[in-house]
Amino acid sequence: MDIYVLVKQVPDPEANVKVKSDVELEIENKYFTNFFDEIAIEAGLKLREKFGGKVTVLTVDNKKVDALRRGIAMGADDAIQITDPALEGSDPFAIAKTLAAYLKDKPFDLILAGRQAMDDDAGIVGPGVAELLGIPHVNMIVGLEIDDPKKELKVVREVEGGKEILSCFLPALFTCQKGLNNPRIPQVMNVMKAMKAQMKKVDLAALGLSAVDVGGQAVKIKVQKYLPPPKRPPVKMIKEDFPENVKQLVKLLKEEAKVI
Amino acid sequence: MALDFTFTEEQEFFRQMVRDAVNRLIMPRVKELDEKEEFPWDLWKEFAALGYLGLRHEEKYGGMGIDTITQMIFYEELARGSCGFSMSATMQILMGTYFIARFGNENIKQRILVPAIKGEKIGTICFTEDQSGSDLAGTRTLATKVDGGWRINGRKQWITNGPIADFATVMATIDPKMGLKGLNFYLVERKTADRDGFVSGQRLHKLGSRCSVTGELVMDNTFIPDENFLGEEIGKGVQYAGEILNEVRVMTGMNALAIAKEAMEDARQYANNRVAFGNPISKYQLIREKFAKFWAWYEASRTFLYKCAWMIQNKIPCINECMLAKYHSTEMCMYAVEECMRIYGGNAFCSEYPVQRFWRDAKFLLYGGGTHEVLCDYLGRIYCKE
Repeated sequence: MDIYVLVKQVPDPEANVKVKSDVELEIENKYFTNFFDEIAIEAGLKLREKFGGKVTVLTVDNKKVDALRRGIAMGADDAIQITDPALEGSDPFAIAKTLAAYLKDKPFDLILAGRQAMDDDAGIVGPGVAELLGIPHVNMIVGLEIDDPKKELKVVREVEGGKEILSCFLPALFTCQKGLNNPRIPQVMNVMKAMKAQMKKVDLAALGLSAVDVGGQAVKIKVQKYLPPPKRPPVKMIKEDFPENVKQLVKLLKEEAKVI
Repeated sequence: MALDFTFTEEQEFFRQMVRDAVNRLIMPRVKELDEKEEFPWDLWKEFAALGYLGLRHEEKYGGMGIDTITQMIFYEELARGSCGFSMSATMQILMGTYFIARFGNENIKQRILVPAIKGEKIGTICFTEDQSGSDLAGTRTLATKVDGGWRINGRKQWITNGPIADFATVMATIDPKMGLKGLNFYLVERKTADRDGFVSGQRLHKLGSRCSVTGELVMDNTFIPDENFLGEEIGKGVQYAGEILNEVRVMTGMNALAIAKEAMEDARQYANNRVAFGNPISKYQLIREKFAKFWAWYEASRTFLYKCAWMIQNKIPCINECMLAKYHSTEMCMYAVEECMRIYGGNAFCSEYPVQRFWRDAKFLLYGGGTHEVLCDYLGRIYCKE
């Protein structure tokens, strides 16, 4: 099976994020591979172990290639970085357009992606790529059963109160949800391989795209304003003695905090 | 532009991978590992399967042949988890297998080093005795040359991995009167029905680093064949030990860095949330000073330790620097854990909070790689050019 996995490097949840201006964030230089993408890589590797073939990790990023390195460290065969200065400021749809332009001529059986990136939580790129390529897609799968890549396969999604089993033929695109598998911890031998790996770089010209198709000029979604989360209110000390203090606490929880 | 403090993108990636492995495999079990006080065989197998035990050894034996700076990144990240597990693993990676790889013949390497890298055999190194540790000249374990090999007699104490070790690199003297010039290393394996070897003596129950099992190894007229003599000539044991002491000291410093940082990060969260007199205690200047001092000392220690790693890697003589960096980082760690105990107040005194574990784990670093009294005596003498 020829499998492509779409990956993204996202800020570490421990990284400091500050609102720099209305439309710009200042993010501490701490990044890691989107966890849902790791699940997608693992799913691809398991299918390769079963059916043979090749797993290629693919990203659109001008600077960070660690998600590709992680793909190699986990066992992917190849890594492609689509990079071009014109991509700066792209929205998820432009990223999907770029990925689809790369994939359209490739002989893939399956494309896997995380259910969403853990930074913007948009969840647009995976379905966007599938739509642009005109292939079936299922989001947030927690189960994948393929007996024969040429025959109809089954995927499982979690729905309110139960599970939904869907079927389709390949080629298709699935986005992967927690529960599908437990991503492997890379072996040091593969980590070393990933450290030395040269990523194959592809620019927009090679994809038949130009600056007007992507980047700031092509955005369909504009950030209007970033607002920091509200600061924690100051601690309120209850001065009364028991049992008045308990009554006062219950009153505050009900009327002020509105949690009970 | 010769001075450059940056890690390469590849080294940063390596750090992230080790950190991730530690977060997934070790972190969720840290409290349990400390409380059980047993060697975690299941974790050892999982960890060994990732291949990190062969980090510094040749690829033909299953190792990775990694450079010193990257090794130190590994030690720093590993010690963030369980200090005890880190001690067992670093014993296997560095001290426990170094002389086997350096002097063992092909038969020994295939029989001992290859399974050690896979984690199937456990190794250790034995210096300490009841009257000697930092004072190597006081070694009394005796090696006597006999036909076809050596007879070893003595008891080694404070042996990391000792109770579970399959093989040990044992420092012994050919004559106690010769002092440092009589010392050599010998490979001794555990006694079995068809092979002479060491037996386990008393197991020690330690204050900290408790999942790393420590105990005594006893050799009673133990015969080892000639091929188990680890060295090129007799009497060079101390010189050989010097080859890894720099690495051992910087590695110990990395342990100190990791414990101090974890303890302080934990205390930072506590101080930001613990309210006294209407404010989080991190609002009070006496508490803030503790963090400021720690931060300054931590950054200095970390820079110094990586400078030492760089010197080792570039084969620049650095015995004094490595001693100083070990001393500085460990004292920094002592400061950090002591102050964390105060930041936690009375809560530091119960096992529900992790701060007491950091405090207990850190204490061992004062002795591993040379006690600070011995290090300071030596360094002071060198500085004063006595």
